[in-house]
Amino acid sequence: MASSRRPAGTGQAPDQRMEQPSLGVDYLCGDCGATVKLRPGDIIRCRDCGYRILYKKRTDRVVQFEAR
Amino acid sequence: MSSRAAPKRTPQVSVRKIEPDFCEFVLSDTDPSVANALRRVMLSEVPTLAIDLVEIEVNTTVLNDEFIAHRLGLIPLVSQRVWDFTGAYDTNDDDENALMDIVFQMDVKCTGDDTLDVTSNDLQLDPSFPDIHPVAYSTGPQDAQAEKGVLLVKLRKGQHLKLKAIARKGIGKDHAKWQPVATVAFQYMPDIRINHALMDTLSEEQKLQWIQSSPNPVFRLNPVTAQVEVVDAEAYRYDGEVIAKAKALGKEGLVNITPRQDMFIFRVEGTGAMATQQIVVAAIDVLLRKLDTLQQSLASADAAMDMDGL
Repeated sequence: MASSRRPAGTGQAPDQRMEQPSLGVDYLCGDCGATVKLRPGDIIRCRDCGYRILYKKRTDRVVQFEAR
Repeated sequence: MSSRAAPKRTPQVSVRKIEPDFCEFVLSDTDPSVANALRRVMLSEVPTLAIDLVEIEVNTTVLNDEFIAHRLGLIPLVSQRVWDFTGAYDTNDDDENALMDIVFQMDVKCTGDDTLDVTSNDLQLDPSFPDIHPVAYSTGPQDAQAEKGVLLVKLRKGQHLKLKAIARKGIGKDHAKWQPVATVAFQYMPDIRINHALMDTLSEEQKLQWIQSSPNPVFRLNPVTAQVEVVDAEAYRYDGEVIAKAKALGKEGLVNITPRQDMFIFRVEGTGAMATQQIVVAAIDVLLRKLDTLQQSLASADAAMDMDGL
């Protein structure tokens, strides 16, 4: 149930969050599994094998669920 | 308040069997309403402890987060100390030190080539409550003899599960995971009356046929007196087979069977969270508290009506 999902734990500071888009986000290539760092405006494409399907990584934060 | 002119009775309990996970007793000299109230309270209002919140840090297993959280919730926890705790939604403003959360930790990673079973034995207990643990809990080497625990998920090489599970007090009405019993049921004691005058008109062969028509052995033919007698009234399942057979033999009214309204056979199967006799006693306690609340509110309602001059 998505509604019971409450991200908790180590919330990042706002200034860090402002920085993050420029650093880019890590994705995983759907074909070769390589890590691809994308910035806004980048072409969605694996730099190693040219595959066009990328997967987002799991959050590094703790995720809380109700055991129901 | 007007009361019915029924004679005051004292309900009786006679215990037949007590095992840690099972008990059987006979409740008599009361009404079906009382028996059913007791059954329902045992099922859904005796509090136990169960995992209620799960904080997942790493999960690279084949099962998703909410699936694992749900499975963790269903593990019965040994809840002897449940009375020391306060439920998350109970009103207890006066006591700020009320105990509420029990925190279990789990961190399992599969490093070998073989599949690794993650069970309830992989939960690390809360150091403040070492006596609160899952049922059949054992640590140390997991050999064939040791209790296996409750299987949660299987890991392949490299898969990792790290989480924190928070257990709380709750009742079965909120979620089935807090039910202290797997099954609780009562059976009406049958009152079986054989019409012996009519029975004597049957031949011995017919009597045997009639006895055999019952799917459970309830009757027998006494070899000495050649009379049909009841051997085990409780074995009767209200199936109506013997009544149908009597009709087929052209002897309607051969036997009259009615469920007794003042005698009930209870069977309680526990989950391991509490001993079954504890569940029964706790249920009676909960029921009494409910009656107390009712009595008090009736008294205050009466007083309010007097004030209004009604």
